[in-house]
Amino acid sequence: MVLAHRMALESPLIEAEAIEATEFMDLVGRHHVSGVPQTTINHGARDVVGAVPEHFLVAEIEKALKKEAGA
Amino acid sequence: MEEFLDNGLKKQVRRVFEDFKEPVTILVFSSASKCEYCEETIQLLKEVVALSDLLTLEEHDLDEERELASRYHVDKAPGIVIAGKQGEEIIDFGIRYYGVPAGSEFGALINDLVTVSKRESGLSEETLAFLAGLKEPVHLMVFSTPT
Repeated sequence: MVLAHRMALESPLIEAEAIEATEFMDLVGRHHVSGVPQTTINHGARDVVGAVPEHFLVAEIEKALKKEAGA
Repeated sequence: MEEFLDNGLKKQVRRVFEDFKEPVTILVFSSASKCEYCEETIQLLKEVVALSDLLTLEEHDLDEERELASRYHVDKAPGIVIAGKQGEEIIDFGIRYYGVPAGSEFGALINDLVTVSKRESGLSEETLAFLAGLKEPVHLMVFSTPT
C-alpha cells in the first residue's frame, strides 16, 4: 500500500492522493515533478523524490508544517 | 470491451481478498468531458469489486454531482475514493487515486483495499505517535507512473 495512504487511514487530518503522472501532465508541471514517485506535501511546502522509508516521510511532513508555521 | 483481468489474476486477487474483515466501498467520479480513461477505470473497478462480497462500487459524475465531489475534495477524473462502509454510512479516510489504477498501481490498489478492510495501517509506533499528535491538516500528492 502507498505509504501516504497508510498515514491517511490512521489520521483524519491526512488526505493522500495517488496520481497517475502521465494522465495529469498539467499537475506534473505545476508541482515540478522531477522523478517518480514524488510526494508533494501541502501543495509544495516540501517535495520528496523517491520511495522513502516511513521515518523519512514523517520528518519531511514535520519540516513542511514548521515551514508553514514560519518557524 | 474485453476484460482486463484474466482468470489467473482474478484467482490471485480473490486469495488476497480472503483477508477482508470490514466492508469497503469505492466511489469513482468520472467525467464525460476531458477524461480519456474513465471508461477503462470504471470497467477495471467493476471487475475488482466482483471478486468480493465485501466490496461495492458507487459511480458518480464529477460534472453533475459537484456537491458530492467537493465533499470528497475530488476535482479531477477519473477520481477514486477508497472508503470504509458501516451499514449505509461511508467512512472517508482521505484515500484517493487519480487515473487508471493499472500496472504497478493495480497492486497498490488491491493492497489498499485489504488494508482499509482490516483498518490496520501496519505503521510503526513512532509514526502512529506522530500522526496522533498532528494538529494541522496535511495534504499529500504521490505522483507515480504505471510501469
